[in-house]
Amino acid sequence: MIKPRSLARPRKVNKVPFVELYAGRLQGVVSSGSDPNRVYVSYFEAQSGNFYCSTNNNRPCGGLRGSPCKHLLALLDEALLQYGAARVVAYMGLGIEPEKVKRGGDLQRAMKGGPHKVEAGMVFSRFLTYLHYVNLPPTSAPIPEMGWFVR
Amino acid sequence: MSFAELQAPPEAVVQASAALDALDDAFVTGFGRLSSGNLEALASLQRSFAATPLAAAFAEAITGIGRSEFLDRHFLVLAAARSAIQGAVHDALVAQASAALGRPTPADEAIAGGHGQAAPPQAEVLLESARQWLMELALAGFANLDVDVILPFQATLDAIEEEPRLAREAALLAGLLGELLAVFPCRGAPEIPRMRWVDLWSRAMILAAGAPATRASRAVKGELRILGADLQQHDTFATLVVYASLHEAGQAAPRLCRASVSSFKVDVVQGAELGPIFAEVGKVLLSGLAVGGRILLDGMLLQEGGDLLWDDAKAELIGKGDPLAEAAAVLGAATPAQRPTLAPADRHPALIGELVYLAEGSYTVAGKGEPALTIDGANVAVAVERWPESEGLVVSDLAGSKGLVGLLRYDGGAWSIQPLTIAKGKAAPRMLASEIAAALGKKSSSSSLSTLKERAGKLLRKKR
Ligand SMILES: [Zn+2]
Repeated sequence: MIKPRSLARPRKVNKVPFVELYAGRLQGVVSSGSDPNRVYVSYFEAQSGNFYCSTNNNRPCGGLRGSPCKHLLALLDEALLQYGAARVVAYMGLGIEPEKVKRGGDLQRAMKGGPHKVEAGMVFSRFLTYLHYVNLPPTSAPIPEMGWFVR
Repeated sequence: MSFAELQAPPEAVVQASAALDALDDAFVTGFGRLSSGNLEALASLQRSFAATPLAAAFAEAITGIGRSEFLDRHFLVLAAARSAIQGAVHDALVAQASAALGRPTPADEAIAGGHGQAAPPQAEVLLESARQWLMELALAGFANLDVDVILPFQATLDAIEEEPRLAREAALLAGLLGELLAVFPCRGAPEIPRMRWVDLWSRAMILAAGAPATRASRAVKGELRILGADLQQHDTFATLVVYASLHEAGQAAPRLCRASVSSFKVDVVQGAELGPIFAEVGKVLLSGLAVGGRILLDGMLLQEGGDLLWDDAKAELIGKGDPLAEAAAVLGAATPAQRPTLAPADRHPALIGELVYLAEGSYTVAGKGEPALTIDGANVAVAVERWPESEGLVVSDLAGSKGLVGLLRYDGGAWSIQPLTIAKGKAAPRMLASEIAAALGKKSSSSSLSTLKERAGKLLRKKR
């Protein structure tokens, strides 16, 4: 059976190279505005709405003071671009109407959680898994199974 | 050509669907908690295999599972049984389509060679771990999956993706894993594409039993004329399949064939951004697609099933072509039997793609929301669900079209047509995925791919 899967939409990756809905979290990696070699690792947990932001070396983000920092807000904005409001609202278990969500801040107001530290490595290793896809070589061998994956 | 004959599937196909349905229930419930109804359905399916080579293994599998003896080989038997049914359905459908279109059923070319290849030892370990994971999914049941069952497989998948000889298994498992993760974790009742997931599961299990045999091939020399292309993708993998006729030197009649380029990718890479990736192995093929062109092949390998193993070094673009005129010539009354097929183990109704040509005036476009074609008084749906997002060809191109090349597809119990190339009168024909090829020359320095590659270069180096 063929079931068209709505592909995530393309978006600019300069500021937020990576965002995903995964294992009950909205998580991703946000570039530092000042240091090109630094990235922030940010996440929100579905249902609880708990969040955290730190550098990939586990140093807490300075902008995190009881409420989401600018990296977390950037993450929400990009999640909306990539997945659309309906999917993000459903995945995070937010009781709001997706049609009324225009930007990340609208999502953030509906989240009830507070800062909750997790190891940056948990999210960062997902980013490395993601990046490994851009380094795998293409092939001209037939892949008949792709006939199941339309769109 | 009579599309009226395609209004209903053959009776055998309808019966087979009922048998599959009963089996699929067990996959949703989970083999670790089968109901008596599930067990009866399995026993009934086992009886229908009594006179086949699978009989003994099937009986052993059912007894074993009934005793909670959970071994991957029992589940491999279930996958094989299911694939055998789908293979028979495929064959019945292709025969029906060929008869309705007034053409011979497609035939593999007789080429000597082709052999099974043992997977390298490292790959064997990975495949064993894939079989183990697939068995765990079946034991839990698709309705009861939890991320604890799904997530640990990622590490194995990463390793499978690094092994070029497991590309088919990797592309499939990455797609299946992505779909599972889009549904789970789930609060309340999950929405499960039942038949689809069991299809994907079965194919993955069979590919995990060992790397498929290499198909026999021979070198060809002649002119390839592009008819159209299809783009297939999920978040982390994309495949461009190009359909063409091949006029070989010294052969009176042309044959039809397929060529493809595939790559892993990330979700943000789509459309034109796929061009530079595909071009790494198929630049000439892409350039040909951009102009509906003619390509000279010299020494390119053609497999018995009609797949060209693309090699840019053995191809040269010789100019623009006329895909619609070529389709009219090769897909009319003299459609050759030598056209693309699937290997016996790969046959499945969802993978049928029979090339068709509809001349101007032989069809009308009907339907507002769900477009359909009326051909000789018969109504044939347009397979919009298979229509990739492509600027090269959009649904509105159908209106006022002057002929088309498409693929006859089968899904959900009905035939449909997926247009690939549409004639627009004086303007150049519109071709699916042609924008991927057209964007090749204009390299953008700020593409998401180059940004991510730069990141990957820095971070992966630091890490390793
Ligand atoms: Zn931050």
